[in-house]
Amino acid sequence: MTGIMNIYKPVRAKLTEVIEESPLIKTFVLIPETEFSFGTGQFIELSVDGIGEAPFTPSSSPQVTDRLEVTVMKTGYVTEYMHNLEPGAFMGIRGPYGRGYPVEKFFGKEVIILGGGCGLAPIRSLLYALEHIKDKLERVVLCYGSKTPADCVYKPLFNRLNNTEKFEAYRTVDKGDEEWTGPVGVATTLLNKIKVNLGKSVAVVCGPPVMMKFGTMKFLEMGYKDQEIYLSMEKNMSCGLGKCGHCMMGKYFVCKDGPVFTYDEIKDTPDIWK
Amino acid sequence: MHYLSINKEEWDKAVEQMLMSFTIFAAVENEFGIDYEELSASNISKIAYNRAKPSTPLKSFFLPVRENVTSGKIGNRQRVIMGAPGCDVEGLKLLDEIYLDKDFVDIYYHEHRKNTVIISFDCFEKQEHCHCTTYGIKPWSEEADLSVLKVENLILLRVITEKGNDFANHFSVTREMNDEKLLALIDEAHTAAVSKLTEAGDGLPDYKTTGILLQKAGDEIWKKYSSRCVSCGACATICPTCSCFLLIDKPGFEKIRQMDACQYPGFERVAGGEDSLFELSRRFRNRYMCKYVWKPGKFNSIACTGCGRCIEACIGKINKNELFMELAK
Repeated sequence: MTGIMNIYKPVRAKLTEVIEESPLIKTFVLIPETEFSFGTGQFIELSVDGIGEAPFTPSSSPQVTDRLEVTVMKTGYVTEYMHNLEPGAFMGIRGPYGRGYPVEKFFGKEVIILGGGCGLAPIRSLLYALEHIKDKLERVVLCYGSKTPADCVYKPLFNRLNNTEKFEAYRTVDKGDEEWTGPVGVATTLLNKIKVNLGKSVAVVCGPPVMMKFGTMKFLEMGYKDQEIYLSMEKNMSCGLGKCGHCMMGKYFVCKDGPVFTYDEIKDTPDIWK
Repeated sequence: MHYLSINKEEWDKAVEQMLMSFTIFAAVENEFGIDYEELSASNISKIAYNRAKPSTPLKSFFLPVRENVTSGKIGNRQRVIMGAPGCDVEGLKLLDEIYLDKDFVDIYYHEHRKNTVIISFDCFEKQEHCHCTTYGIKPWSEEADLSVLKVENLILLRVITEKGNDFANHFSVTREMNDEKLLALIDEAHTAAVSKLTEAGDGLPDYKTTGILLQKAGDEIWKKYSSRCVSCGACATICPTCSCFLLIDKPGFEKIRQMDACQYPGFERVAGGEDSLFELSRRFRNRYMCKYVWKPGKFNSIACTGCGRCIEACIGKINKNELFMELAK
């Protein structure tokens, strides 16, 4: 056949470490057999040999190119197999795919990030990328909500961010436990406590659909323009190539045209919060 | 574009000789109607010239139901598809946009296309649900590699592309055809075919208008028409432009591309169970919105060619044109 690259063939990657983040969430540290790099917010198709593949946004820094971290919640058929893998196993990687966060558009601005649940995985990658260019940013604020304190992944991240110049991180939980002394309530309530510099600020929302919807509404209410709100959409991205049709959202293939969209781009598309 | 002519008996002999160098699939008439068969000396006489579309859409030659897209082998032997209707050739344009997208070329689709000469047959017959002209498509093709029509005992070849020209050069006994009377006769026959189709499509909104109407359609009409849908996916399977697929994993990181349909439950379901197309009426609506609103917003090619196969294939006797006419009232 002609010398065109086969878009369906995964690159093999060795699983070198499995980090237990919470009872249902693990981070897989992978070393791809060929050079692999990605832009923050882009996603990969990660496969378990012979079982299936699923889309994930890496949670590691895009500046690190010799290894890759992917945080996976056990939530379906393929992810259950992933959770049973042990270091030494080989996984398959295709990608990176899609349009990630256009961080160069954040230069000179403050970035307010609203995250929920497993949405913190892609956000962590974004935070690494923003740390790398912090000289060009005014301020970065993370507002994150999880169901319970135990469901919060990357707990040390919050302290580290709060000790990093220009970075602030806040947490809330839907339901506290005996040790929790922080705020209780949905993630959007954290936004009430921060002062933003409208016009010089962009908003990033990444989390479950209901949070995406109410988070966007909250930022609009705060005075953000449609084009200043960045949303990382989640659909059934199966091929990642804009072909298989499973992630169609109106005229967009979320896998190729997204997964990061501004609210302005998708506000007229039906069923975006479903 | 120019015409060549060849005597029917000479053509049949030449086609038989071609079988030495090419695998030829042709639209033939059999006991079930018209469909593609691999050509051999025994069925050359059954080739269905000038007739309406074969049952199988042209896409099936380029997107087989299942294909190993990581290690599957594609032979280099040239294929000829003879008898593709104009509507299907038009439909292939959308598949080309998707599968030959410069960012991600599907090499399997690419190779199938490269190795195939498409010969279209002019269509002078209207089947019950044909409505290509409503969407601006002619019942003959000027975009296949070659087009063939039969006039009495003559086979006329309309040579369109370089690939078509190369193929036509294999026929040593063809003659240039510039007979103005005959050309006028072809024009007349084309016009008559268009009239027949246009008359039958009276009242049916055109492609663009259909998109506008669908965007305004309320839930009730989707519920009404989907009430007879059994989610069998026949409409999408038989459609010349529906091309969604699943990637199935096999050991050794192999991938099988298997044709899929948005009419099947779970098409958009994500891990965790969210499924925006869970309701039957939403899935049903999805296919039409995709064809008339979303794909036109993204691609240059038309996503419904008016071939009518989805109406013929529907076990619930759902006729999309009745739905569109009701919306247009």
